[in-house]
Amino acid sequence: MKCENIEELLSAYLEDDLSPEEKRTVEKHLKTCQSCNDLLSFIEETNKSLADFPQLEVSENLLDRLYSIPSRKKRLKLSFDFLLRPSLQPIFAAATILMIMISFYLFHPDRNTINKTINRQVHHGYSKIERLYAKAESFTDHLGAYKDKILVSLKNMKLLGGNEDQKVKT
Amino acid sequence: MIVNTYSKRIFNMAYQFTGTYEEAEDMTQDIFMKLYTSLTKYDFEKNFSAWLLTLAKNYLIDEYRRTKWEKKSRDNFNEHYLPSEAFESPEYGILKEETKKIIWEGINQLSSEVRMTVILRDIQGKKYEEIAEIMSLPLGTIKSRVNRGRLQLAKILKEKKERKNEM
Repeated sequence: MKCENIEELLSAYLEDDLSPEEKRTVEKHLKTCQSCNDLLSFIEETNKSLADFPQLEVSENLLDRLYSIPSRKKRLKLSFDFLLRPSLQPIFAAATILMIMISFYLFHPDRNTINKTINRQVHHGYSKIERLYAKAESFTDHLGAYKDKILVSLKNMKLLGGNEDQKVKT
Repeated sequence: MIVNTYSKRIFNMAYQFTGTYEEAEDMTQDIFMKLYTSLTKYDFEKNFSAWLLTLAKNYLIDEYRRTKWEKKSRDNFNEHYLPSEAFESPEYGILKEETKKIIWEGINQLSSEVRMTVILRDIQGKKYEEIAEIMSLPLGTIKSRVNRGRLQLAKILKEKKERKNEM
């Protein structure tokens, strides 16, 4: 058997984990091969060395970090709980609709047409408001005139010591 | 409770695997954070210790692949491992420390899977059956990985010592 094949069996040979036939083959080879004998002693040295590695103590700093993990997670969870309050649901719904509308506007292929329509609608609305405002102004003027007439009529009433024949100045 | 019982085991596993102290501390913290989020998935019929070590092993190997650890160098062996109090002669003690240093650095040359298997078997002294459960692999595969890892480390040791003797 070649050295390469024997090498693969050496670790198991040290642990006595070979079949009797494999064990005999390895022992026969070791009697004549110095290189494999050397490798066997190096494997043995490696095993002893690895088994002798000390186990380090955990630092105070790391222990503090590990102990604080559950409370940190809890705090993080609380902050998310606040967002999950049922009272915020209508706000989230409104925000979602707004986002949909904004994204519809932003990503629409005919954005310019939408812009024009919006402008037209805004102008139309604005002129309507202006007209309404003008109507309201004339209405207040009319009311003012009526108020004056009523006051003069009251002053001229006989019952209140006035002269009914006096014409009402307009 | 979990921290008291398992922190030392997880930290040492991470340190032996990564070879850098700060990284091992960060990894230990990450593993415990992962543990708290995964506790709901734990099957109470299974061995908790093996389950936790599987979780740690998966995390370490995934991080190793993601961050290409093999390119990083390990801490100097004596930086955190103090020389052992040897009952033997001082000369023999020095030889032993030298071997440990070579092995410690040689671990970096093992693939992630072989490295983890060697750490569990030869440094942490676990049984093959336990390692097979942690790694979720057949016993034969585990034994073959341990053999491969030991052989690789022994060859590194042989080469370094022979080169030193030639000088």
